Amino acid sequence: MSYDDVEIEDMEWNEELQAFTYPCPCGDFFQITKDDLQLGEEIARCPSCSLYITVVYNQEDFLRDKDKSKKKDLEPAKQMPISVA
Amino acid sequence: MEEAKRDEEESKQQQIWSWGAGTEGQLGTGKLEDEYLPQLLHLPFLLSAGSISTLACGGAHAIALTSVGKVFTWGRGTTGQLGHGEMLNSLHPKPVSSLQSYVITHVSAGWSHSGFVSDTGLLFTCGDGSFGQLGLGDYRSQSTPVKVDYFANNFVNQIACGMRHSLVLLKGNQVYGFGSGKRGQLGCRDKIKSVNLPQVTCGLEDVQIVSISANGDHSAAISADGHLYTWGRGFAGAADANLPQLSLSSLRCTNAALGWNHGLLLTGDEEVLMLGGNYHGGLCDLEKTSAVKHRSADSSRATLNEVIGLDGVKVVKIAAGAEHSALVTVDGAIKTWGWGEHGQLGLGNTIDQTIPQTVSLSPDIQNKEASLTVYCGSGFTFAIRSLSVNPDNIARN
Repeated sequence: MSYDDVEIEDMEWNEELQAFTYPCPCGDFFQITKDDLQLGEEIARCPSCSLYITVVYNQEDFLRDKDKSKKKDLEPAKQMPISVA
Repeated sequence: MEEAKRDEEESKQQQIWSWGAGTEGQLGTGKLEDEYLPQLLHLPFLLSAGSISTLACGGAHAIALTSVGKVFTWGRGTTGQLGHGEMLNSLHPKPVSSLQSYVITHVSAGWSHSGFVSDTGLLFTCGDGSFGQLGLGDYRSQSTPVKVDYFANNFVNQIACGMRHSLVLLKGNQVYGFGSGKRGQLGCRDKIKSVNLPQVTCGLEDVQIVSISANGDHSAAISADGHLYTWGRGFAGAADANLPQLSLSSLRCTNAALGWNHGLLLTGDEEVLMLGGNYHGGLCDLEKTSAVKHRSADSSRATLNEVIGLDGVKVVKIAAGAEHSALVTVDGAIKTWGWGEHGQLGLGNTIDQTIPQTVSLSPDIQNKEASLTVYCGSGFTFAIRSLSVNPDNIARN
């Protein structure tokens, strides 16, 4: 059974773990990576115990992020013709 | 010479045990391991600063306040909650040196922040500030206790630290909240996502409050006439309360202890009641807990349940971890129940318990004068046995 439902905006981004985290009652943190979220995974697990939470989020928000970062890579190529014109 | 002898005697008067989750050093055992049975601690450094008058246990750190107003902390320190001036864990109790020149009278440990109150009414906070829970007007974390200037012209009596919020009780009665308010835990008329400066908790203006508590996203206060008020996240699936709600006005409470999904109340008749009791077993077998008796007829309020299995035994102390509970009976037994996966029940295993179970402390003593106290952090537990040989000690406790 999921311990709790937690909105993504209530989770904290942990640079070191490269994951969104939320306090677990055992003292550790529930964790979920951006990759997990892009894949539509909604379970954040605690590495220290058997508990897990259900993350409430919109998968599209994370897919869009992914698209954006892809577009960024393409941007210089796109801009070049404009500058020529 | 005589002083030293007295100190030595005093140090013999207390025994401290810890058990449960220990991978952040929060047990003070000097190891990074969970312990399933009470471990007798050897803390000579700590005891040389007087006996422990109270402990505060948080997410994964602990604060000891000594009888002479000194403060020691240990456990997780990665957001500065230990106040040692660094963002590092500490396996052993270390003094909070920046508070050495103050006499501290009250301490509280939240999920990842800490609060300290001096005998002159000053409030200091340190640790995680990302929700404004330090009350310093920003969202920064602090590794050394910082004076909360907002209360420069007030006398602070108590601080209570929750998961991401804090409550303050001023002398002269006013209650304030700061930090995350998303579940209504600050007690403001308008729901506030988070606030980094203290806000008056509404609805308690005309009530004489004597104590406050916070844990998880819950807040509670007890009035001089023994009424319990709760606000914040609803218990047992009840709706969140933005403003303090009076629980069953016929009750006379002397103490409250909050978990993340439950609370305990100690009544003037030395009886224990649970708030959201059904859910406390949420991590246990639900069917086992369905037989509890409900005390409240009003379903919009938190339900109060009798603790099954106590059979009318009088209780003198209560404590609540995130998902476990502990109490001390009038005849000096420690009982624990709730979630047990990390050994936080101290029963030698990781099994959940829906009925309070007796914890055995070793070495046992047959001294009726000994007084026991129990404290719970999120996933761990501490017990202190004090021998009341010195009459001064009795008065202090």
